Amino acid sequence: MFTYSLLAGLLFGLYFSLIGLGLNLVFGVMRIVNLAHGDFLMLGAFLAFWLFTLFALNPVPAIVIAFLVFASVGLPLYYLLVPRLLRAKDPEMLSFILFFGLSQVIEAVTTIAFGTSERSIPGDQLGHAVAAVAGFFAGHKVDTGPVELLGQTFPASWVASGVASGCAVLLVYVYLYRTRLGYLTRAVMDNREEAIATGINVHRVSAVAFGIGLGLAAAAGVFAPFMLGSITPAMGGEVTVTAFAVIVIGSLGNPLGTVLGGIVYGISYMFMQSYYSSWANLLPYVLLIAILLVRPSGLLGRRVRRA
Amino acid sequence: MTRLAILTALMASLTTAAVQAADAPAEIKLGTLYASSGRFASISMPVHYGLKLWIDQKNADGGVYVKAFNKKIPLKLTAYDDQSNTATAATLYNQLITQDKVDILIADSGSVLTSVAVPIARDHKMFLVDQTGTGANFFTPDNPYIALIADPVSSIWPKPLADFLTHDGPGLGIKRVAMLYATNDFTGTQANAVRKFIKESNSGVELVFDEGVPTETSNYTVLLNNIRASNPDAVLHLGYASNDIAFLHNVQDSGIKFKFLFCIYPGLETELLEKNVGAKGLDYVFTYMPASQIAYQTNFGMSLQEFSAAWHKKYADTHVEFGFNSVAGYTTGLVLEKALANASSLDQLELRKAVFSLSGNLKTLDGTFELDPNGAQIGEFTPLGQFVAGADDHPKLVTVWPHDLANGKPIYPRP
Repeated sequence: MFTYSLLAGLLFGLYFSLIGLGLNLVFGVMRIVNLAHGDFLMLGAFLAFWLFTLFALNPVPAIVIAFLVFASVGLPLYYLLVPRLLRAKDPEMLSFILFFGLSQVIEAVTTIAFGTSERSIPGDQLGHAVAAVAGFFAGHKVDTGPVELLGQTFPASWVASGVASGCAVLLVYVYLYRTRLGYLTRAVMDNREEAIATGINVHRVSAVAFGIGLGLAAAAGVFAPFMLGSITPAMGGEVTVTAFAVIVIGSLGNPLGTVLGGIVYGISYMFMQSYYSSWANLLPYVLLIAILLVRPSGLLGRRVRRA
Repeated sequence: MTRLAILTALMASLTTAAVQAADAPAEIKLGTLYASSGRFASISMPVHYGLKLWIDQKNADGGVYVKAFNKKIPLKLTAYDDQSNTATAATLYNQLITQDKVDILIADSGSVLTSVAVPIARDHKMFLVDQTGTGANFFTPDNPYIALIADPVSSIWPKPLADFLTHDGPGLGIKRVAMLYATNDFTGTQANAVRKFIKESNSGVELVFDEGVPTETSNYTVLLNNIRASNPDAVLHLGYASNDIAFLHNVQDSGIKFKFLFCIYPGLETELLEKNVGAKGLDYVFTYMPASQIAYQTNFGMSLQEFSAAWHKKYADTHVEFGFNSVAGYTTGLVLEKALANASSLDQLELRKAVFSLSGNLKTLDGTFELDPNGAQIGEFTPLGQFVAGADDHPKLVTVWPHDLANGKPIYPRP
């Protein structure tokens, strides 16, 4: 029970790292809280659902499609909303109101379009993808069922989600630390005013970060039918709250701290489910309060953010 | 002299009728809530649509007959969206009573969103028409302002399930039962009832796993592993529709084969569950047989077949699935129609009296309407069913308990 909870928590936590990654990137660069983050995740989930329902498209290619579509949406959306917001006296506080409104609009429009009922994608769809990849490396056909990890059996969708989340974290790392745009992004994250003074096109850098943030949310949404039971237009709010807890645990403004926050959350959640199941859903809030009391800058704090 | 007396009586009755008609309101104001979004939307919207179907039918016919005014009066529905939020629901229930001054207060679907209405209605001395809020603690001897209309009280739902486990179970090899439930009034009460029934049976059946989880739970993989570790012969999952969808998904994805698996909503909202977990996910799952699955003899209102046809005609273009909750909303309308035809005024306790007068006499597509003295519904009944492979790729639900209603044999262990 202990080992299973630990490994399950690791996989579940990696998924929540992916969910929080985009939210933290946007906060780190723009110092605004995107309360519609969970709603973009929900839209990504519905995109995957409809791609599967209409074209029988496997969720794996849907990850790339969702990322590209929502990253593209993010660029114009940034220019429409954020520069005006940043000119305000208190952009952080106003961002709460603005993105809360956006969240409500997205939820309402999606409800009108798709109804209120739960929607799902069959779990074996990700199993097929995992089996195909495993078969490629093993050189023989692999079953599409659950996957064995360190003697424990997990749904293939969990493993796929964990791998995809790991890849996404790696790509964000490469972007931030190995590309020119990434260097500029980190410069903006470190000090926006100094970045402007040195001639960095802050809006271009921020728009790209905003696009990546939405793209990551949508990509995480593709896994939502498998990791969160089912999808509904109303799921966004709850996801945003949990993602916010994850990034506060890791460190606000430090995208890579999100990984640590996600894993801490995932493992704690699974242990709570195993040993105090009735209280499991209180966990994000308890961790949030504990971190704010003990280490307000998050587990990784500012030191890493400035590295 | 006799002629004069008859004439006087006739004049008096005509005058009374004229006064009654003159005092009659232009419309009967019904107030309710629904959840168009959030966790309870999928059980709230079908109930709301079922109620609206009845209202539209009655209004198309000139209204509903109200004995208190001896005439047909149109119905006006005031409905607000609580978005599955209990705090919002509490505010809106107050608004319906104090601002809109509705004549009849109807709760939203399900125990969670009804729970906040119970004390509010009681404080305002408004009779609460509780559609499907089945929590047993809502019904107490000191609260006359509530009656459960379209759903049996939670404490009796699992009786057939528990009876099956304790009577036929040991013979089939069922001795160890695992129970996982969502900690809300609806399923929490059922879990208590299961515990009580099993304990009182002295059948040798024991609960080897008994855990509650928050209603918001959407992932059961670790819990399933823990249940498997307890080596149960039967697994009972008591949750709402979204819980059952996530649970059955996780069972499939984990590759775990439980010998006996019971969930509530596959029977209640079969269309919704089949869309989400597929026919394969429902294979050999045990569930309740609600009114949407059994064609009861009626003495009032449409039959199940007629209602199903009316529903699919009216709501063909919506995203709301037909199921037990649709039947429940329509049943609420039928009970109100009968009550208004019996009540001598729109006074709240008079409405209560009229509703209680139907107990044991009214038979709708939802079964026999019967209330206990506290207003809990005890007439409608939930036999135990099991999904088996159907001829057209859709799973077929057969009744397996009680024996006198059974049209199939239980398949155990689950293949």
